[in-house]
Amino acid sequence: MLTPPRRRDVQEAADDLQRRTLAGMARALDRMIYLASMRDYNTGLYYHEGLASQFTQEVASEATSYCHREAFRQLVRCSLQEIVRQLEGYLLATRTNPREFVAAWKGLQPYRVAVPVEIDPLAAELLASNIKVALAILEARLHAPPGEPSASPHQSPGR
Amino acid sequence: MIQLIFFLLLGVLLFASLFFLARRRPRTEGGAQAIVEARQALSALQSGLLPPELVERIFAREDLEYVVSHAPPAVHKLFLNERKQVALSWARQVRAAILHLRRFYLGKARLYAGLEFRTEIELAIDFALLLLASRTLELAIYWRGPYAAVRMVGATTLAAARICAISEKALAFLNPPALAVSGHSITGSQAR
Repeated sequence: MLTPPRRRDVQEAADDLQRRTLAGMARALDRMIYLASMRDYNTGLYYHEGLASQFTQEVASEATSYCHREAFRQLVRCSLQEIVRQLEGYLLATRTNPREFVAAWKGLQPYRVAVPVEIDPLAAELLASNIKVALAILEARLHAPPGEPSASPHQSPGR
Repeated sequence: MIQLIFFLLLGVLLFASLFFLARRRPRTEGGAQAIVEARQALSALQSGLLPPELVERIFAREDLEYVVSHAPPAVHKLFLNERKQVALSWARQVRAAILHLRRFYLGKARLYAGLEFRTEIELAIDFALLLLASRTLELAIYWRGPYAAVRMVGATTLAAARICAISEKALAFLNPPALAVSGHSITGSQAR
């Protein structure tokens, strides 16, 4: 029978993950997608080899799950403008063709499966809705002729 | 003959009464169900529906201003439609949770919470006003969009938070100290 991971160990593992890996990702969107990729969709458990070798698989899974929820919460608190900025940054980091990226994200909606399990459904609904609108804004920029306001992502006041 | 009809009718009435009494849910089972539903509704309100950062985010005017100034009309329309759906979902979930709590108060609260008569009356008025406000809010959002009644959102949130505070006390007997501590655990999920 599995014993529940000790709280202190989980906290330590989460700090370790934060310090060594997540600190290098400035955007909450990047962190959320990265952490979602560590999850086994059949079991809902997270697998992080480095963390598991240092602690235990159970502790590593709990710590990764906690960091995933944190990234999600940070993203939900962002304004729409910030989400557009993060999505744009993520797009640039992936070095994908922007039009292909937007088309794939609109079609596959990976942001819907990249959310943690134990979260408030309304918050998940808000985030999915914001990303959908952010994608539409990016798409409008891609299709707008040069010189029009929506053509340039650099016109937003915060940039 | 008249006597026979009278007794037959009486028999039918008695049989019907027995039938309806037998169909009623046992009192204890119904009570436990009401308490569980009330506890879940309270958790949903406190952790999912009423936190100010989420409510402010849903009804944030800065998002609308950003879309109006940085996106074409088609995206503006998409944004308003999307945000309306989220706002409606919020209003409906708040209303549903309040209805669950009211059901608890109407049926079982006095058995468990030991409320005074005056508190019960105040609560009944609070519930009635809150349900009316949440329904009006829902209609306003439906007809005029997510930014139609932002002040009413604030008032509804405050009234719901007041009812949550009273309900928290009424349902306190379900929170043994050990559980309350583990609720803040890093490993613990949001109470829902």
